[in-house]
Amino acid sequence: MSKIIELKEITKIYEVGKHERIQALENVNLKIDEGEVIILKGVSGSGKSTILSLIAALSKPTSGEVLVEEKKISKLPDNFASIYRRDNIGFIFQKYNLIPNLSVKENILLPLIPLNLNGSKVDEKIQSVMKRFHIAHKQNTIVRNLSGGEQQRVAIARANVNNPKIILADEPTANLDEKLSLHFIDMMHELHSQKKTIIIATHDPLFFGLDFVSREIEIHNGKIVS
Amino acid sequence: MQYHILIKWRNTINLYLIEYAINAMLRQKYKNFFIFMILTFLTFLLTSVFFITNSIRFELDSTVNALPQIIVQKVKAGKGYDIEVARVDKILEISGVSDAIARVWGYYYFENAGVNFSIVGIAQYENQYKNSFAKVTEKFDFEQLKENSSMVVGCGVMQVMRNSYYKEYFNFIKPDGTLKKVTIGGIFDADTNLESNDMILMPEELVREIFDFDPLKATDIVVKVANPKEIQIVASKIKLMFADTRIITTNDLKVSYQNIFDYKSGIFLALFIVSIFTFFIIIYDKSSGLSSEEKKEIGILKAVGWKVDDVLKEKFYESFIISFFSYSLGVGLSLGFVYLLNAPILRDIFVGYSQLKTDFELPFVFDMQTLFLVFFLSVPIYIAATLIPSWRVATLEADEVIR
Repeated sequence: MSKIIELKEITKIYEVGKHERIQALENVNLKIDEGEVIILKGVSGSGKSTILSLIAALSKPTSGEVLVEEKKISKLPDNFASIYRRDNIGFIFQKYNLIPNLSVKENILLPLIPLNLNGSKVDEKIQSVMKRFHIAHKQNTIVRNLSGGEQQRVAIARANVNNPKIILADEPTANLDEKLSLHFIDMMHELHSQKKTIIIATHDPLFFGLDFVSREIEIHNGKIVS
Repeated sequence: MQYHILIKWRNTINLYLIEYAINAMLRQKYKNFFIFMILTFLTFLLTSVFFITNSIRFELDSTVNALPQIIVQKVKAGKGYDIEVARVDKILEISGVSDAIARVWGYYYFENAGVNFSIVGIAQYENQYKNSFAKVTEKFDFEQLKENSSMVVGCGVMQVMRNSYYKEYFNFIKPDGTLKKVTIGGIFDADTNLESNDMILMPEELVREIFDFDPLKATDIVVKVANPKEIQIVASKIKLMFADTRIITTNDLKVSYQNIFDYKSGIFLALFIVSIFTFFIIIYDKSSGLSSEEKKEIGILKAVGWKVDDVLKEKFYESFIISFFSYSLGVGLSLGFVYLLNAPILRDIFVGYSQLKTDFELPFVFDMQTLFLVFFLSVPIYIAATLIPSWRVATLEADEVIR
């Protein structure tokens, strides 16, 4: 398997206000191969989410480089970073980050809007992804009226509508009960079978020791400890 | 060929983005409706002000064009006095003067209605110094009117008289307190509304009787000059000839009529409204900016792959739809208000209330410049006020906005 993601000497410092600085990551080095399923584990504030954010080019490292398919994405100008995300990344956020007063279908459509594809192609993609993640029956329901599990399926469907190579999930089961969490794991398993590279940041023990997980990486105080 | 153009257009215009913009507007329907109403009202007010001033300026131009080139008045101790009719012959001797006419006229205050009538004396066989008077003398025989003690009145005057139950005649009170009954012989169509509103034409002898005028004197003398470029030269010559006179040229009259119409105050008010309009939008933008939900939405859009210009395009569509439709509605309402309803309330602010009660209809003047001006004062300002805060948020790191 070829390398798809590489983090080189990554340091990330957040500036809070004028004087306060929080070091989220310190000299992190990480290589991830195509098709791997990686669990980033660690307590809250350890730096797991920051790693996902840097891989998705949602933020830039203070120093070091993020390479995806040998391309430096950490220094991409804003518009190129958006195109990179659109074409390569499916991001499932902890609080789903859906637009609450849009319908299921409208939320899933969001990543396709800038592509200006023709109507039938868009419809085909949306219907297919909704069926795959079992949310088609709720397609016209306003998202704020859905349960947590349903909202998460919408988030997963939206993350997959562009068929990205890399799926990033940030604390995906933090707001779900065990049954729904197991269902989420099943969906990740299915995505893994399609050769997607999946990185999940979590401290949920349900994810530990899963047979399809390639590696579990522990982060502590912004450093990889194991 | 048409099909290819349609395809090209379809590829250029992102209909999904427009649909999203419409949905985004509807999601905040109360706020957007409020903004729409405010913008419509301000556009309506601003356009109405411009339409009214344009109409008044048009009316003013028509009035001034109908005015004499030179008026000669006798002045004593700074006040106007009656002028000797004999001076007409001397003025006619000045080279460049094509005609000179002694006018007998004055203002008659009609107390019941609180208005002034301009009573003008007409001599049937003299040259008339106004086209409208020439038309009246063609239509009415002033010799006949003299015999019958009759007058011809403007439509506005007729209306005022009717309101005071004078339908067939009018009783003028002479300076000695006696009454002079003059019958209404007809109504004339004037070149301008101002004329028709306050003017009464009657045989010269009747005017002399009502105002107790000396038969050898007149109110003033109007002078026609063959070459309009020589008006100032001729005016100087008359002044040299008669030191006790005040010479008023067309340009002086223009200034005086501008004061009657007071359209300058209209323009002032227009500028004032523009300032309030701009100020309101800026204040609104400064105070509200973007809500945390709106900021988060931009962050989400960027996180799912929207570029900064996709976000800005969507915001552009949103603000353009609101501002353009409110502009169109405002202009439409203003057209109806000014030209169909004759601008009730607003018109009184702009039309000066001098000695005349100028109850005239606003003539329709369609000025594209006005529409462009109002457009550029409203639509782009609103769009900019929407785009700038969105751009500020869209250029932040998406992670920072979502967190």
